[in-house]
Amino acid sequence: MANEFESPAEEIKHLRRCINDLVSVLALPAMWTGGSPTQIVGNSLDALVRMLSLDFIYAQLRESTGTVFTEMVRVGSSWEPKLRPEEIREKIQPWLENDPEKLPTAVRTVFENRAIVLVPLQLGMLAEIGVIVAASQRADFPLQTESLVLNIAANQAAIGLQESSLLTTQKHVASELDERVAERTRELATINEELRKEIGERKKREEELRLNEAALRLAHTQIAQSEERWRSVFENSAIGVALTDLDGQFIAANPVFQKMLGYTEEELAHLRFLDITLEEDGEANWKLVQELVRGERRQFQIEKRYRRKNGSAVWVRNSVSMVTGAEGRPQFLMALSEDVTEQHEDKVALDKARSDLAHVARVSTLSALTASIAHEVNQPLSGIVTNASTCLRMLDASPPNVLGARETARRTIRDGNRASEVITRLRALFTKKSASFEPFDLNEAAKEVIALSGGDLQRNRVIVKTDLGRELPRALGDRIQIQQVIFNLIRNASDAMSAVDDRPRELFVETEYNESGTVRLRVKDTGTGINPEIEEKLFDAFQTTKGDGMGIGLSVSRSIVESHQGRLWAVRNDGHGATFLFSIPCNSNT
Amino acid sequence: MKSHDGRSAIDRQLVAVVDDDESVRESLPDLLAEFGFVARVFPAAEQFLVSDSLGQTKCLVLDIAMPGMTGFDLQRELRVRGLNIPIIFITAEKGETVRTRGLELGAVAFLLKPFSDTALLQALNAALGLG
Repeated sequence: MANEFESPAEEIKHLRRCINDLVSVLALPAMWTGGSPTQIVGNSLDALVRMLSLDFIYAQLRESTGTVFTEMVRVGSSWEPKLRPEEIREKIQPWLENDPEKLPTAVRTVFENRAIVLVPLQLGMLAEIGVIVAASQRADFPLQTESLVLNIAANQAAIGLQESSLLTTQKHVASELDERVAERTRELATINEELRKEIGERKKREEELRLNEAALRLAHTQIAQSEERWRSVFENSAIGVALTDLDGQFIAANPVFQKMLGYTEEELAHLRFLDITLEEDGEANWKLVQELVRGERRQFQIEKRYRRKNGSAVWVRNSVSMVTGAEGRPQFLMALSEDVTEQHEDKVALDKARSDLAHVARVSTLSALTASIAHEVNQPLSGIVTNASTCLRMLDASPPNVLGARETARRTIRDGNRASEVITRLRALFTKKSASFEPFDLNEAAKEVIALSGGDLQRNRVIVKTDLGRELPRALGDRIQIQQVIFNLIRNASDAMSAVDDRPRELFVETEYNESGTVRLRVKDTGTGINPEIEEKLFDAFQTTKGDGMGIGLSVSRSIVESHQGRLWAVRNDGHGATFLFSIPCNSNT
Repeated sequence: MKSHDGRSAIDRQLVAVVDDDESVRESLPDLLAEFGFVARVFPAAEQFLVSDSLGQTKCLVLDIAMPGMTGFDLQRELRVRGLNIPIIFITAEKGETVRTRGLELGAVAFLLKPFSDTALLQALNAALGLG
């Protein structure tokens, strides 16, 4: 860095320009709301070509399967003739195919007889969204500041693209679900209506049977017709219908049901429904059936998996009710069964998108923490270096000061452990792993987060006050995830006070036990408070008032707390600022 | 206790260290003593200002980011009081603006934590006009 500029003035000028570029890059997402991937990327490329006076810049976007679905190129004013994306792709494809995780930082190559530097940037953490390649004929390209602008622009674009794809998926899933629910409701209503009519008619006929011998024959015909109609409903229904006896042995199944499972009605007659239900779903299912048989419930709904004849699993949503015979005695079980495998797959995909989003949120907080990390690690390092230097000097003295040297060596080791603890804690906080629910000490968890945020808070001139409940029962949950939530709340509180100059910037972190068997943590600030305009949408994703935020902290925090059967909410303070609180269950064994 | 350059305890010069980090307050005095200085440590700028070391301090080793009064605040306060104590800033934060600001305001040296013993000794010699 120091050698790149001839004078400090020039360097300052350059840094200013870099800051301006960064501000412009950070403003880009404001134009993207609702935009297509092509707009988002095109927009970024236009901005980068202009800002960094690039010769050209190329982007390719991939589907989740890895196929390139769109590519584009922007050429700077100094480059003639115009380029087609394919020409660039051919050139860079060999190193793109290798290992997207190990893209080179810059590649010197020759393009149309001109020496250029190509800088590839991955979109997404593993370049799973795509790649941007910036090119310049300048030999010193990219300067550190240019790399910074390129990387941040690529991150912004990746976030924009993820946001756009997530919104599309969510909209799609929601409308599909609506449609299916409406359709199924219509079907069930029709069937119910038919059944009710049939039952009514049958009762009437039975009455007539008893009354009149002559009417009996007539009634027989009518019942036959009625049976036929009922059979017709049964056969032609758009959803699966099956009848079993009270042990679950199949008596009848309509064509839809047979087709769904790949068994004929005859084959089914030799099976109990438990025989073709996946083992892990069977127990809960049987329990519900028993409740039905004992008359403890009139009907139930269950989502479960059947094993098809060909061995594959099918997700179904079953509505099961009791068909009673004369004098209301239970006679059959009737199941209306709908194949919901696709919806389940959509749900799994949506859950994954959410979990990826949570990870992005976690990683994005990394940048905010970088300064803090340097501070936290460099403090003990400073002690280590000073102690070790002193130790050597004491040993070199004549006579050697062994006592003093031993003491400084002891301190060196202690500070070394301290530095390594800081790193271990940070690593734990940013590792993606599945949640593990275990009892943990909420006070200790909070203290660690406060220590990790210490550098940030200090720079922001925030005074931290804690009131951690004594003999707090251990909380039950995933300690790392809850720390993530605490970190988000503390960071939000600190940010909310960054513009406060007329009163102390105070942050209160309090924990307490609730009578209801939960522990509660409260983060209170003296900041600008909650903006009434966004109060209702406070916990929605991408809702932010911060120029540099992504607005996913609170939404992710809430989903974490809710996955712990807990609650996260916010209240305005009587004076200045806001208080965010969450409560999660305690471990019942303590 | 004798020092390496043979100066007696009487004319050994007082160096004050102000840093909120305990490991610095613990480690620096021993090193300063090895260099032949008398060291006093303070966890906060405010405590240094009210101490009787204020008038005798020949050089101040000063942290920048501290809760309450920062290193820059203390530098300004000393200037307002007309106390011309040479200052060596120490900080764990990288950043050109911080460095530029510190040196513009008249600091003798600006050391990034962790710093070497020789860098500190050079800065002290520069501060005290030794050499």
